[in-house]
Amino acid sequence: MEIFQYTFMLKAFLAGTMIAAIASSLGMFVVVKRFSMLSDALAHISLLGVAIGFLTALSPSYSSLAFTLVASWIIEYLRQHNKLYSDSILSIFLSGSLALAIIIVSASSSFNTSLFDYLFGSIVAIDDDDIVIISLLGLICAVTLYVNFQRFLYIAFDEESAKASGINTTFLNYLLISLVSVVISVSIKIVGALLIGAMMVIPAIIAMQFSKNFKNSVTYAILIAMVSVIAGLFISYYASLPSGATIVVLLLCFFTVSILFKTKRY
Amino acid sequence: MLLKNFKDNVIETKNLDFKTIIQDVSFEIRRGDYAAIIGPNGGGKSTLVKLILGLIPHDNGVIKLFGQAPSLGSLKKIGYVSQGIAKLDENFPISVHEVIKLGLIANKSLFSRITKNDLARIDHVLTKMNIQDLKDAKISELSGGQRQRVMIAKALVNQPQILILDEPNTGVDKQSQINFYALLKDLNHNENITILFITHDLGVIVDDINKVLCINQTLLACHDPRQIYHSEQLNQLYGVDAHMVCHHH
Ligand SMILES: Nc1ncnc2c1ncn2[C@@H]1O[C@H](COP(=O)(O)OP(=O)(O)OP(=O)(O)O)[C@@H](O)[C@H]1O
Ligand SMILES: [Mg+2]
Repeated sequence: MEIFQYTFMLKAFLAGTMIAAIASSLGMFVVVKRFSMLSDALAHISLLGVAIGFLTALSPSYSSLAFTLVASWIIEYLRQHNKLYSDSILSIFLSGSLALAIIIVSASSSFNTSLFDYLFGSIVAIDDDDIVIISLLGLICAVTLYVNFQRFLYIAFDEESAKASGINTTFLNYLLISLVSVVISVSIKIVGALLIGAMMVIPAIIAMQFSKNFKNSVTYAILIAMVSVIAGLFISYYASLPSGATIVVLLLCFFTVSILFKTKRY
Repeated sequence: MLLKNFKDNVIETKNLDFKTIIQDVSFEIRRGDYAAIIGPNGGGKSTLVKLILGLIPHDNGVIKLFGQAPSLGSLKKIGYVSQGIAKLDENFPISVHEVIKLGLIANKSLFSRITKNDLARIDHVLTKMNIQDLKDAKISELSGGQRQRVMIAKALVNQPQILILDEPNTGVDKQSQINFYALLKDLNHNENITILFITHDLGVIVDDINKVLCINQTLLACHDPRQIYHSEQLNQLYGVDAHMVCHHH
């Protein structure tokens, strides 16, 4: 097929499916912890990191990773120590970081176009370094998730009992949120800061409706995410549509079908 | 050698303080005890249990588990069913089998996986709690009484020496409660599991238990259960002219 003759498309498929698998499996935990807005908030923070990276001539990838990680630790700290609702903490971070990013962008208009790529994602922007970083971080995430799967599940299901049984819930909460921020900051370049949240959350929500246990939910979520990315990249290539948005619209279609299907059965 | 009448303290507190909620509470639970904690709403019962489990740090006083300062090792020997587990997240996609499996993680090292022996243990508690048929069901599809049994199964699967239950029978019908009490009695008698049971309803279990702790901010009394039945202290405990909560058949 013609589409596979372009190395940038091959890279997009490779990077896209890896991100889909990791983002959706992490997303499963985020959703059941009722922390769905986390990915959106972190994506905007990582956008701020990118803007600051451009401004200070640091590598935008690294500065966005650093910003997102630190912000995620602050969010988790506030969640554990304050009586504030998690979703209000998140919306403060979301709008705050976006506001700062806008100010930085308007103060120095030279990098507007490249920042635009980070907002909406761009498959042509993937280079070999990105592939290496994504594979490496993907491997780290996969191993961490595999090793701690039961513990993360216990904390999501019943944090108090998990803690009472001697599990280090504080550490594991920080670990999980760190994984989420790493995945988000490496994927915004491809999927886009505005869309990565959908990629994490929607597959999980669809999968949850069709499975009676957590293991199957994660499997389904990963499959749904990967199918959407692959189909979305095909469609965006042949119809000349932006890839990130196409993927999210596909996910929304799956979601709508799943809701209709689910409602009809009762 | 362990003498027949010698019973060690498995839970012990001395002059325990937490803010104004728990003040100067000292008591002992011995191995094999079946103790009830009673007291009014907001009296600090759940808080006391959380202090014992180290879920919240205490301000003053001493807590000892199995004769020693609480540690990860001692927590692993305790099964805990927290209050309000009945109001689970209705959408959480987790099966009965998966919930019970969570009870085993505390004893797992980082890379060890679920073994055949673990699966056998899960089957054993499923049978014991009479929920074999539900093992693949989604937890949110179960009734309140069934969920309660799953949570107890999760607490039992790790073969704990102490079982701490915080009002596990809120919203459970009479017959299920009676079955549940029979089970607790069996665990206490035949498997020598120490039980600490928070309840508002002493009526049915008063003949099974051997200790009652009345908590309202401080420990008001530590009783033989048959004495408390008509005790003056009950009035003091509930502040009003309370009569013992009894079953109305
Ligand atoms: N983390 C906390 N920090 C401060 N106060 C708390 C905390 N948790 C509970 N309280 C307060 O402590 C008091 C005792 O609460 P607790 O839940 O221990 O009561 P309880 O005896 O279990 O009541 P119930 O019968 O309703 O379950 C209440 O006044 C409550 O408002
Ligand atoms: Mg309580």
